[in-house]
Amino acid sequence: MSVIEVSSLSKQFKQAVKEPGLKGSIKHLFTQNYRTKNAVDGIDLQIEEGDAVAYVGPNGAGKSTTIKMLSGILVPTSGSVKVNGIVPHQERMRHAKQIGVVFGQRTQLWWDLPIRESFSLLKDIYEIPEQEYKRNMDRFRELLSLDEFMDQPARKVSLGQRMRADLAAALLHSPPIIFLDEPTIGLDINVKVRIREFIKEVNRDQGSTVLLTTHDLEDIKDICRRLVIIDKGRIIYDGSLDKVKDAFAKERKIYFQVSEAAPTLLESLSRMPGVVLEIQEDTKFSVEFNRFQHSAGQIAAFVMERVEVVDFRIDEPSIDHIIRKLYDGELSIEEGYGAEAAK
Amino acid sequence: MKAFKKYVSLLKMSMQVSFTYRFNFLINAISGVVFITSLYYVWKAIFAQRAELNGLTWEHMQSYLLVVFISNMLLSWYSETAISRRVMDGSVSMDLLKPIDFQKARLSETLGTSLVEGGICIIIAVIWAFMFTGVQVPPDASSAALFLLSLLLSVFIKFGIVYLSGLLCFYTTSMLGVAWARAAITNLFSGALVPIALFPDWLGTFAKLLPFQGIVAIPASLYMGQLSGMTALGQIGIQLFWAIVLWLAGKALWRWSVRQVTIHGG
Repeated sequence: MSVIEVSSLSKQFKQAVKEPGLKGSIKHLFTQNYRTKNAVDGIDLQIEEGDAVAYVGPNGAGKSTTIKMLSGILVPTSGSVKVNGIVPHQERMRHAKQIGVVFGQRTQLWWDLPIRESFSLLKDIYEIPEQEYKRNMDRFRELLSLDEFMDQPARKVSLGQRMRADLAAALLHSPPIIFLDEPTIGLDINVKVRIREFIKEVNRDQGSTVLLTTHDLEDIKDICRRLVIIDKGRIIYDGSLDKVKDAFAKERKIYFQVSEAAPTLLESLSRMPGVVLEIQEDTKFSVEFNRFQHSAGQIAAFVMERVEVVDFRIDEPSIDHIIRKLYDGELSIEEGYGAEAAK
Repeated sequence: MKAFKKYVSLLKMSMQVSFTYRFNFLINAISGVVFITSLYYVWKAIFAQRAELNGLTWEHMQSYLLVVFISNMLLSWYSETAISRRVMDGSVSMDLLKPIDFQKARLSETLGTSLVEGGICIIIAVIWAFMFTGVQVPPDASSAALFLLSLLLSVFIKFGIVYLSGLLCFYTTSMLGVAWARAAITNLFSGALVPIALFPDWLGTFAKLLPFQGIVAIPASLYMGQLSGMTALGQIGIQLFWAIVLWLAGKALWRWSVRQVTIHGG
């Protein structure tokens, strides 16, 4: 059985529609028009124990809404959510003990209390046994270097420090399931690296299940083995990180450096269907091709038969590139593997 | 027992925080003193013409004002607005993520603040009483004990009202408007501005049907030892009744609001 089971989950919000201007405002006083927005639109998702999953998508795709339903803050409009056998919004208290949640934009520390005191308050709230508390605290203090600012109230520490403290606070009760909503937002590189290391370690050593939303691709590559991409409330990709390239990137690019100028070759290359030729110098050019139409070997052989190749390299499309294209809406469900995954 | 400990910790925490906000409290205390001093002079002028007003003497009135002051200070503006602020800035959603009852947690925090601020305000009250001699202590030990019990219940009643009005901020963005309206209604019907005994009959009867009398009027009459035996206990009973009713109403409104919020989005 999966730790997290989500099936045909949807969430609709009612948005008030107001006509522009003063007239619209007055009209709105008497008649309210609403438009329903499908923030999450029929999501199916299974996550196994100990998995680390990146949940990615452009702003407004429905990531946070999903996380909020998983953590019990929002009630689904339809569909079902089960986390460790518990329906989050129905048994909020019991659910709260088994999850650790970090919302990058909010803090759960007490603003006016020294961070140390926030921790000991959480110890009582979560009823954490002394031994476990001490063990976790010692570990977190070391991994996240909390000692530098433990005596400061949350309102006085820097964003990076607050984030580290928030992570520790969310994991103090050793929850088996962890939801992180943009945990590295607005942080500098050092802190990011540190937080990634920490999440990785918790995932590896405690076997905690991690679901992470982020816009930072390094987060994904570093922490997660599985990638789920959501757009306009629907999952458009669910699979391993490596396969996303195969799924979406049909373009490959080969860079050639040849011994002498070969205008006829270039001309015939440029006439091949599905090929885009880019010439840098007389002896340097690149060929971009659709890998479903040509293989890299074919292209290379074609060039090598006609001219002496001094150097060449194949450009693999990076995950960044693919995700950026996804965000831009240039890749759609209909393409490649994504369509199969969506079925 | 362990489940109870978290609320005690919250109470202690809020005591600690109220020391951080000592300046806030100080300002609050000053405005309380100004308010009560002006009331004092208004009433002094009224009693200059007569010895008695609807059975109240000048001595009674001074004791009455002392109780008004203590009761006002027990739940400061800051801790009053803490609940609505929580609702407004959305940290409610973080509360939903913790294994803790929202209402009990807020009560613990409010009591914690009240303990610190109440302690300080008693000192101020004693100084105030000393400066304006004529304030009487409760006539005997039993009225003193009943008064303290009644004062405690008044905190619960006030919490109930503040909690309910705080939850209204789920539905309106006018947090200050709600707080001011609540303060105005409370001041009138609790007898903080004018003792209920001086209300016109119909208004007095109406006020006796409301929970607000339990905040000032009842503790004040117990302080002055005006009530005896069963009548006094009856008044305490009324307070207890309202404390429980308001608690349950708060619980129901919270449950309802959370359902609305979690269904329609915050």
